[in-house]
Amino acid sequence: MTTQPPDAFVTVRDLRKVFDVSKPWLERTIERAPKQFLKAVDGVTFDIRKGETFALVGESGSGKSTVARMVVGLLPATDGTVMVDGISMTETANSAAREKLRRRIQMIFQDPYASLNPRWRVQDIIAEPIRAFNLLSSQKDIADRVGELLTLVGLSPLDGVKFPHQFSGGQRQRVAIARALASNAEFIVCDEPTSALDVSVQAQILNLMRDLQDRMGLTYLFISHNLAVVRHMASTIGVMYLGRLAEVSPAKEMFRNPRHPYTRMLLDAVPDLGMSGRARIPVQGEIPSPINPPSGCTFHPRCPLVMDRCRAEAPLAIDGVACHAVQEGRQSAMAARKSA
Amino acid sequence: MTQPVLSVRNLKVEFVTRRGILRAIDDISFDIAPGEVLGVVGESGAGKSLTGTAIIGLIDPPGRIAGGEVLLQGSRIDNLPKEAMRRIRGKRIGMIFQDPLTSLNPLFRISEQLVETIQTHTDMNAQQARERAIGLLTEVGIPAPEKRIDGYPHEFSGGMRQRVVIALALAAEPELIIADEPTTALDVSVQAQIITLLKKLCRERGTAVMLVTHDMGVIAETADRVAVMYAGRIAEIGPVREVVQHARHPYAKGLMGAIPTLETAADRLTQIPGSMPRLTAIPKGCAFNPRCSEAFARCFVERPDPIPVGVSQVACWLYKYGKEAAA
Repeated sequence: MTTQPPDAFVTVRDLRKVFDVSKPWLERTIERAPKQFLKAVDGVTFDIRKGETFALVGESGSGKSTVARMVVGLLPATDGTVMVDGISMTETANSAAREKLRRRIQMIFQDPYASLNPRWRVQDIIAEPIRAFNLLSSQKDIADRVGELLTLVGLSPLDGVKFPHQFSGGQRQRVAIARALASNAEFIVCDEPTSALDVSVQAQILNLMRDLQDRMGLTYLFISHNLAVVRHMASTIGVMYLGRLAEVSPAKEMFRNPRHPYTRMLLDAVPDLGMSGRARIPVQGEIPSPINPPSGCTFHPRCPLVMDRCRAEAPLAIDGVACHAVQEGRQSAMAARKSA
Repeated sequence: MTQPVLSVRNLKVEFVTRRGILRAIDDISFDIAPGEVLGVVGESGAGKSLTGTAIIGLIDPPGRIAGGEVLLQGSRIDNLPKEAMRRIRGKRIGMIFQDPLTSLNPLFRISEQLVETIQTHTDMNAQQARERAIGLLTEVGIPAPEKRIDGYPHEFSGGMRQRVVIALALAAEPELIIADEPTTALDVSVQAQIITLLKKLCRERGTAVMLVTHDMGVIAETADRVAVMYAGRIAEIGPVREVVQHARHPYAKGLMGAIPTLETAADRLTQIPGSMPRLTAIPKGCAFNPRCSEAFARCFVERPDPIPVGVSQVACWLYKYGKEAAA
């Protein structure tokens, strides 16, 4: 049984998810092929403090959405623990306590066109968590609460009678946020909440999410592939690569002084909108297949600081960075080359 | 002054629907010089992709070009018969689309698709065409092209597929490439590689590029000039540095402030209230007036046309009558 550090609200320890991606039995028998497994998440550990935004960034296939799904309990974890406010989500004991916890955790999905039932009126969509958790009983109280939630996310209480298709993408995402808040959730997992939106609408939603956090003390787990968005939202950032956390650092620190070579590479890949002409090292290679990941440190085929040890031995996270080169103090060589 | 590769003059595109005629592109004009990269940005529904489609003559009914001219090297191409236009596509105008998986035929080897394209537009024999195809794959940075050329599209990763699509677009040495969201489906680290590649190849060959994207970052990295589109019109067009750093049109200004960047320290992003109007309900006057914080009487009655402001062209009454009129 794990215990949580005193200041942590959400604790994730050594979380793993392995998918069986083997071919069907008959094909496998004929071809004498072994079973194949995909390690989508391979030992992820982090803590989130109350009222904080913890962001997971990474390229497609890095396992960030799988972590989000395991944290809310949509996917069972293969191994590892998730604890929220002292209660374990992953261990089966004490199901009554977990039941209570579920009300306090909600999720916002990427595609607001897919996450709202097109046949339900918005008032029913938002009222569903209230009814499911028996938070209010009288119809009038529920209607008042729905109106209040709609106002909170910047819509009109009169919008409740409309159907999702009558709203734009940004407004739909507001409805999804209202639904997440309906059960008085304290911890919200947001999986790419603005990736499907246009920039001007994205700005509205990001500002709304920050305002709600300030007002209600919400804790966010924020999943995104966009570093600039993450920089705007997060207080702590975890960079994922092929199912592992390459680096976990406070947001400001990471952007000022990225330590892991992969973090550096990601930052260098972001288009330079300010046209500051900052020196950048060109990006190399692509993320390999997670079915057959490289040996040792999975980043080694793309890493400018690679050496023999990286090919043989997977680095452990020390002080938030899982990299042999950083731990041996070789990253300063790279910085020197960059400024040259 | 050299002749522009592409000139678009007062282009209008309409869709005939049961609810009346919807004007999706309303009177836009721009030029692209040889070797120049023109970025076209805007939010969904601004008409940026449609502009590209109209130029290559691929608008399907009920859509139609309702007015204006498209000139390629000074001669009109918007009124050409279908067959003549088909010969221009691929030969003189290359195209790169968003999703590299759907723009390649999954049933044919890369070699077949490249050789077919090359032979359609040149009089090379099969052997020469194959050699040229390998040469192109080398140029777009595909490792071991002699081997990879006989692979099928599914054997390539997203970034590699987009490289193949670029090779296809370059196959006939076009004068103009229309790239519609070429990096949107790709991860940032791959996106950076593709942008660098596209820019390098076009610079070397002097190919003009119209780069359609919603990503201002990509534009800032790649384009020489940029056109900001809103509700079927060009709000502002000018040199990229000018537009990115000193946007003049209130929409362009808002758009720039709304983008979170790695440099700014702003705690809140600039917010443009509301969203882009639907084609069925384009406001009278300037289409941006309901969302504009600086709108004044004239904006609600008369539509502004682009006027020169500094080195840019801006379609906004503020710059014709000054802020005094607004007050």
